Amino acid sequence: MPGVVSNSDVPSSNAVVPFSTGAQEPVIYPIRHGVAGPIHRLAISWGAGNNLRVSFFGKPDSDDEIGGKVVEVKLSADDPEIESDAERRRIAYGSVSPFAHLQSRRNSVSLLSKISPSPYNIDWWEYVMEYSKDIKSLLSSPNTLPESLFEDPRTIIKKTEDPTFLKAAWELIEIFYADKESQSWLPERMVDWLADFDSLFSVEQVTVHSKLVDFQEKLINLQSVEDDPRYWQSISSALALGWLDTVVKMLRLHGSYNLDQLNDRETENGLVEAVAVLISKMPRRRPELASGMLGEKYMSKPDFMKSWEKWRAQLTKLNSSAYWIHCSHHQTREGLKSMLQIMLGDVNSLSIATHHWIELFISQLLYIRPLSVGLESMYSLAQKCIQLKPSSTSHKLVVLMMGILEENTEVVLAECSRSFSPWMVAHAIELLTAGSDEADFLLNEDRSNLGGISIKELYRLIYAQVLSSHPLTWQIAPIYLASCMKQGMALLEILLSSQPVHNNNLLLKILEICRLYELDSVSTNMMKVAGVHHWKQGRKGLGVYWLQQARDEVRLNRIAQTLFDFVGKSISEENFKEWEGLIELLGADSRSAGSLDFLYKYRDFKRSLQRVTDGKNFDACQQAVDSLISLMKSPSTPHRFWLPLLYDSLKLLNWRDRPLLNASQTYLLLNKLQELSTARLRPNFVEPILPPDALSSVRLALGTNLGRAILEE
Amino acid sequence: MAIGGSNETLEVCRFPQSKYVDAVRWLPKISALERFAVVALSDFDSGASSIDVLALDRSELSTPSLQSSWTAPSRVSSLRTSESFRGPVIAASTLAGSVHFLFANSADASLESEVCVSDKAFHAGAVSCVDLKDGGSECLSVGEDGRINLVNVGDTAKVSYRRVFDSNGLVSYTAAKWASPVEFATGGLGFSLQWWDQRKPGGAACQLKGDWFKGASSGMVHSVDIHSSRKDICLAGGSSGVVFAWDLRRPQQSIILSQSELNENESHLPCESEVWSVQYDSYFPSSRAMATPSAHILPAMICSEDGILAVIRQGEEPVELLAETCAINSFDIDKQNPSDVICGLEWESIAILSRP
Repeated sequence: MPGVVSNSDVPSSNAVVPFSTGAQEPVIYPIRHGVAGPIHRLAISWGAGNNLRVSFFGKPDSDDEIGGKVVEVKLSADDPEIESDAERRRIAYGSVSPFAHLQSRRNSVSLLSKISPSPYNIDWWEYVMEYSKDIKSLLSSPNTLPESLFEDPRTIIKKTEDPTFLKAAWELIEIFYADKESQSWLPERMVDWLADFDSLFSVEQVTVHSKLVDFQEKLINLQSVEDDPRYWQSISSALALGWLDTVVKMLRLHGSYNLDQLNDRETENGLVEAVAVLISKMPRRRPELASGMLGEKYMSKPDFMKSWEKWRAQLTKLNSSAYWIHCSHHQTREGLKSMLQIMLGDVNSLSIATHHWIELFISQLLYIRPLSVGLESMYSLAQKCIQLKPSSTSHKLVVLMMGILEENTEVVLAECSRSFSPWMVAHAIELLTAGSDEADFLLNEDRSNLGGISIKELYRLIYAQVLSSHPLTWQIAPIYLASCMKQGMALLEILLSSQPVHNNNLLLKILEICRLYELDSVSTNMMKVAGVHHWKQGRKGLGVYWLQQARDEVRLNRIAQTLFDFVGKSISEENFKEWEGLIELLGADSRSAGSLDFLYKYRDFKRSLQRVTDGKNFDACQQAVDSLISLMKSPSTPHRFWLPLLYDSLKLLNWRDRPLLNASQTYLLLNKLQELSTARLRPNFVEPILPPDALSSVRLALGTNLGRAILEE
Repeated sequence: MAIGGSNETLEVCRFPQSKYVDAVRWLPKISALERFAVVALSDFDSGASSIDVLALDRSELSTPSLQSSWTAPSRVSSLRTSESFRGPVIAASTLAGSVHFLFANSADASLESEVCVSDKAFHAGAVSCVDLKDGGSECLSVGEDGRINLVNVGDTAKVSYRRVFDSNGLVSYTAAKWASPVEFATGGLGFSLQWWDQRKPGGAACQLKGDWFKGASSGMVHSVDIHSSRKDICLAGGSSGVVFAWDLRRPQQSIILSQSELNENESHLPCESEVWSVQYDSYFPSSRAMATPSAHILPAMICSEDGILAVIRQGEEPVELLAETCAINSFDIDKQNPSDVICGLEWESIAILSRP
């Protein structure tokens, strides 16, 4: 396989659409094909997934041993953000059961509402939230760092897990579309969201997170932090985003807390502590506080308003306190004052403390409009923030957020499919349709420009297509295809039919899927293909087995003719053991065996004949005669076996003690002999290898037997 | 169906492998502290297959660490482990028709040497199953091509094999298991089983007729097991959730332990799809201090395509240990410590169970 060119020279731009830049260098994939001499012909086609199948053909008449070679080239996606293939498969596997569970719930809910208009409204979004929770747990990186037992007081930023764009986008959509409960405390939800994912914006520009990380590194070398302007800047920034625990922790690093300085800097310390206390008493409009989170929670609006006003009054009082004059440390005084301004919601201070417009936007939500609920006002606020802090607008989370605030589901969907994987779109649609009737209609409406399917179905089909292209994930594609009402089943049939059948275990897995979705015709077809494959490879038993399972009489009969040729030559007493297994497999059931049941009867006949030769047992003789008659009567016995059969049974016909065949049986055999002479005239008749006098001796024996039988009767 | 017995004490840990798990086995115990699992993996992206030895901490179930790895020439179709006088030995058959023997260090289980049989006359096409004789000196291999070979693994440098039988493709074998030093059983299409005795060459000594099964459709045997204390009973699992036992003393019939179509109203039905593997379960929790009646078939563990790992006792409700959302393709019970079971799951992961 050729190595993939390293893409280190390609700028790791965060451009969402790689084609838009135009100036991107083409990636070159060198291919080692190993075909000697000039290449005569070249064929290129798509293989599975991202693989390009390149076939090289040498000169057809060259003496070279290798006439050509097929090479698969894997075209790698050059997006550094995209997780490894294994990681993507892990998410794909994990999302199957939440997805399937939600679909079955949807079906039962719609069934219920059809039977009787439900008196109580089933809260569908609660189901969706359950689903979303399962999916989110998948998106966290599987190897989280173990939490250190000893907390270092100088660790201001705790690293829990690597945030991913995928999870950030998922949560954003969840907050605005699915989670009905969070609608009343959106500002605080956004604060939480940004606290988790602020580092994702650091790639393009400075963020509060990156600033804190930088300061953390320098912190070790700082003697008295309060002299450093970066200390106050970092504190203000953290405060602006509502990371209160970080702020209080940092304040406690202030030099005035040192025991040896406490006496000299009493006023200063009192002010620091007063601010810290006020911060930890901040009223927060949220149902609960996670552990370690500071502030006081209020869920009812009047309660919150009351304590909010009270808190702000305390801030104003402190701001205008006389103690500030006694604070000799200039940096501390200024730093604390600007913190108070941030908490009082001064736009300028907030703007200085934040970097990205999203940070400014969320800080304004927190300190200026803690009661925001409507998307419309949020959108205009966001617009203002963008004007204040213009930044690259192509960041995928930014585009997504603007789409959401604009209440434009189409933009959200387009952004999901453009910047995130097809997995994201197929699964996020459940969130989009959870709470909004408008989005539900938009995504579920059948569209003629999509070939009569809805957008929802389209994206599911796309995702299923991606799954189908990998030899491991194709098995979960049926779950998504089955949820597509219009075209899913047809595509499922195509998917199953295109799977390789040479491996029995894999074939059985395919047949199991066919059984689940009641695709009997597909499974029958697959079994036929497998049967013919094995037959051609010389695995006759397997070939017959699969054709039998498929009840493919036509092919079984075809195969029978070849087998009979083989039998005619090879069934002798010595190598009968070889045949034993195959004949057992055929069983006596002629329905599924086609004309192969002849072999089964032939074996019985041969066996009883053997017993006749061994001991002169009358029962054995009678059994042999029965087998002979049933063989001669059976339409599946080939003509060319008639004479050898009769020739084999000469000793039955010439049985000394008494005639074994009665008159009618003998007539039957004579008739067959007559038929045989006409059959012989046909062009494709195969003459059995027998002694030249075989026919006449059989005729003679039959004649004699007839005479004896008539006499006896 | 009885679920899990006491679920709160059954420990299950799943470890993603990022590669397809073809087969799993425990390595015979080397030290008291550590234990090792052998996992055959296939990376479908690079096309590479390997046999990895994973070290597991005995005290706590942390992520297994890779101890040693060997690159296989093709996907592994079956895997066995045994203890020889030199140390642990691993036998693996491949879809390309070769059988490989890996010898592990008896101190740290790292793979030290490898010998293989891979000539064209050995098997035509995939080897479907191998089984190592106790002591690891001889290995049985069967294939879809209808050949049965005995490989002598006496010497680490060289191996030799001899043909026991060749059906020339008229019969395919899908499973094999030693019963005694001279006898073994094989399984194949149409729920057939064959009993072979090396003292009676030229063909199977006895066979369970393919038409014994009166269900709506016939199927394949995927796995066979024989208990060392009851060597004339052959346990087999195959298609349509069928698990049955064949008693050589009554060779014309078989005892069905589980089957999907038969038991609509009786609930002896752990699964409906392919039973990929069966093994006698020698684990008896102290709370269950009762011996299996001697007339009964010993308890057996099965794993299936529909994600079930269960223990079947004749005449009792099956006990479900795992119900996964994906297929369980293989499992192995730790011989020295039968409370522990390792499973290979379809979705590129392994699961390790410790029963109370």
